[in-house]
Amino acid sequence: MIEEDRAMVSVINLTKSFGTLVAVNDISFEVKPGEIFGILGPNGAGKTTTIKQILGLLEQEQGEIRVFGLDPSTDDVEIKRNIGYVSEDPLIYKSMTPRMLFNFIASIRGLDEIETTKKLQYYFESLEAVEYYDKLVATLSRGNKQKMQVIAALIHEPLLLIMDEPLTGLDAKSAKVVKEVLELHKERGGSVIFSTHILEVAEEMCDRIAIMDRGKIIAMGTIEELSKMANKVGADLEDIFLKLTNQDESVNHIVKNLRKMINGNKRS
Amino acid sequence: MLSNKELYRISKRVYREGILHGQLQSAGSDQARFLEKIDKDKMQRSPDIILKAMSALYIFGLVTIPIFALITIHSTLSSGIDSNWVAFVGSLSVSGFLVMQPAVLLIFSIMFSWGIMSGGPYKWIHTLPFGKKDIERIGFFTFLRSINIQLISMSLVLPAGIVVSIVLVLGSEISVLSLVLLIITSLLFSIINLVFSLSLLVIISRKMALIMGDQEINSRKTNIIRIVSMVLYMIVAMGVMYLIQIAIAKIPELYVLQSWSADTTNILNIILSIIPFPFAGGYLLTILAMDFSNVNRFLLGGSILGIILFIFLTYFVYGKALSTLRNITSTELKKYSKKKKEVFVKDITINTTGPTLAFLKRDFAIITREMSSIMILIMPFMIPLYMLFLPMDDQMTIGPAGLSIVMIIMLFYVSMVSVMLVVGLTNIESGGTTITASLPISVRDQVKAKAPHFVGTIPLALIVAILVRIGTPQFTTMISFALAFLPVIPIICLASLFFKAFLFGKMKHKIVLEEIKSEKKFVKNVLVIAFTFVLMGVFVFASAFGFLSLGIAEVVAAILLYIAYNIMFPKQ
Ligand SMILES: Nc1ncnc2c1ncn2[C@@H]1O[C@H](COP(=O)(O)OP(=O)(O)OP(=O)(O)O)[C@@H](O)[C@H]1O
Ligand SMILES: [Mg+2]
Repeated sequence: MIEEDRAMVSVINLTKSFGTLVAVNDISFEVKPGEIFGILGPNGAGKTTTIKQILGLLEQEQGEIRVFGLDPSTDDVEIKRNIGYVSEDPLIYKSMTPRMLFNFIASIRGLDEIETTKKLQYYFESLEAVEYYDKLVATLSRGNKQKMQVIAALIHEPLLLIMDEPLTGLDAKSAKVVKEVLELHKERGGSVIFSTHILEVAEEMCDRIAIMDRGKIIAMGTIEELSKMANKVGADLEDIFLKLTNQDESVNHIVKNLRKMINGNKRS
Repeated sequence: MLSNKELYRISKRVYREGILHGQLQSAGSDQARFLEKIDKDKMQRSPDIILKAMSALYIFGLVTIPIFALITIHSTLSSGIDSNWVAFVGSLSVSGFLVMQPAVLLIFSIMFSWGIMSGGPYKWIHTLPFGKKDIERIGFFTFLRSINIQLISMSLVLPAGIVVSIVLVLGSEISVLSLVLLIITSLLFSIINLVFSLSLLVIISRKMALIMGDQEINSRKTNIIRIVSMVLYMIVAMGVMYLIQIAIAKIPELYVLQSWSADTTNILNIILSIIPFPFAGGYLLTILAMDFSNVNRFLLGGSILGIILFIFLTYFVYGKALSTLRNITSTELKKYSKKKKEVFVKDITINTTGPTLAFLKRDFAIITREMSSIMILIMPFMIPLYMLFLPMDDQMTIGPAGLSIVMIIMLFYVSMVSVMLVVGLTNIESGGTTITASLPISVRDQVKAKAPHFVGTIPLALIVAILVRIGTPQFTTMISFALAFLPVIPIICLASLFFKAFLFGKMKHKIVLEEIKSEKKFVKNVLVIAFTFVLMGVFVFASAFGFLSLGIAEVVAAILLYIAYNIMFPKQ
């Protein structure tokens, strides 16, 4: 069913609006096997909307999406068997404990008990979450909830990981572990799509990056290609990002005003 | 030092904070949704008003019992009944009222007073420049505020009741001395009683607050407390009405129905009258209403002794309550220390089941821990309560016509509970969107996993409701009626689930149970409710032509539903 050399994900001329607001405007991209694909963009750029469409969680309007060659608006169940998804805000059943949660997930996915137990033990230990296994999710901190989400996305060893800001709320060590897991996943031929605000992470991890702004992809390519586009050879991603999203001027302006305000208020 | 008036004003802020605190605690894991609701709906911000008004109403309603007992005393006495027995029945009625009064106060205020008693609302007060004494007084005023209306009604109701019975009957029956003593006693007694109930409320709600505050938000223990208090509300709310009816109907009978010899009654009276609460007060008031010249001196002495004991008891409880209040407002809150359980990697294990069972387990875990979902389980069992309290004695003979009205009301209640069940079950889905969104769940399976709920609680509750009436002449009619309607329950539940999914979850190629089309939410919800009721109406109409036509309607509906199921949630 899943063809080898084809792109894991291909998005062609995708458009999605909410009422009059065009959240995603005619975007196209491909993600190949063994590739980590980053989506960057300011708040409200349309990253989450794009990701949800790929998963078939939002109604598709215009354009075409193929995941493993399948259409998410009809074959979402088949697609989800091979996807791990970390959503932007961890909405996990609050009155369940991680134990109940993972029993539920493993049952629905039909996973092997012994195999999954081993993996869970490994992930819980390396993310330092062992002590929360029998705590109610409602009492977990934001970062620990995020860990549960990340583990839930990994235990069935999916072909494709789709992660919407996976590192939010994680402490340094856990973020490092998750990054390592993604690298490992990639080495074994898996793909990752992830959106992030942390530019260093994108720079460090992504093979290719798409920069979105107001629903459009305004630039796409490797870091080198992007820096060429921004006419800033050797510049870091932050500069490229601000330049390409036309935010560099406004940032300078804001910084200047901020200084003025703070200095003006200095206690005498 | 600030003036009391200023402090009372300040206590309003603390009070509102406390209310919110209590609401948040009862919202449990539903807090986010609750906060959203409170933001939109201003009424949600003062839920206490309704409860305050209700409890005042109940307190005033209850006083009809002693009034009734007191005004019938003299006609009973003059018909030659033993005065000991009259004193016994009369004081039992008055004591009943005295017990019910603080019970109503407790049950209707505890919801909010435990928020106030948790100490949480006082934390920020400590960050402001107030003296220690001021904070203590703010604590006291906050508490008063939480039951101000109840307090006023409690202090007025007994003297008012006495005055009413004097105007109605007693004025012409007893001596002026007794009258004056009666009024003074009722005034004094209602004040002591007030202090007593108030202190009890302080102590009990603090205990509750400690239990609640110590628990993790959604533990089963806190939920059991929530359930118990909810059930108590309902039972008290309905039970009090019932009690008043019964009392008024039965008191005259009780007066003439002397069961023991005069001597036994006399001894029993004296023993009871020494018990400080509630009997001492009950006896003293009854004795005065009978005109104390009619009564045995020992009984009078006993009840006065009882009252003195009651004053001491009140003093003691009051002292405890004061120190409790002082504790709350001080920053160092007493907390139970909890032992931390060690967890090892080997504790992390997995047990898998089939998908349907997995859904059921998940639903069970959530339903038993979340207040809004628990209601799904409680509400159906209001049907048996309704049945239990439904007056069906000889005076209100229920013929076939009356009986069908009873059943039809019950069926519409069933429709309401069905909608609640459907909404509750779909809400469970939205509580874990992140998880369900990433899992390969077929909607068909999801729907299948809801079916056991539809054949579970509500039908069970309906059967229990009828069983409550076992042994009555109407029983056979009712049970055959209920059994005939049993298949209707899963049918309307499923139909309303399908309709709701159709309105809220229709996508281009499929229909999901989550609410993804959330615009015009109100209209859609009204439509779902209306749909369910109309559907029930159709079945009720069909049943008017006999059980055969009801059966045909059920079969037809089931077939249509099955077709709809296959169209809406096709096999992948
Ligand atoms: N369900 C919805 N209804 C209406 N508008 C929506 C909805 N979801 C998203 N939007 C709008 O679509 C636009 C894109 O939102 P999206 O969540 O995709 O942005 P994002 O790039 O993920 O932003 P962030 O970095 O803040 O996560 C925003 O303007 C948002 O307000
Ligand atoms: Mg986003």
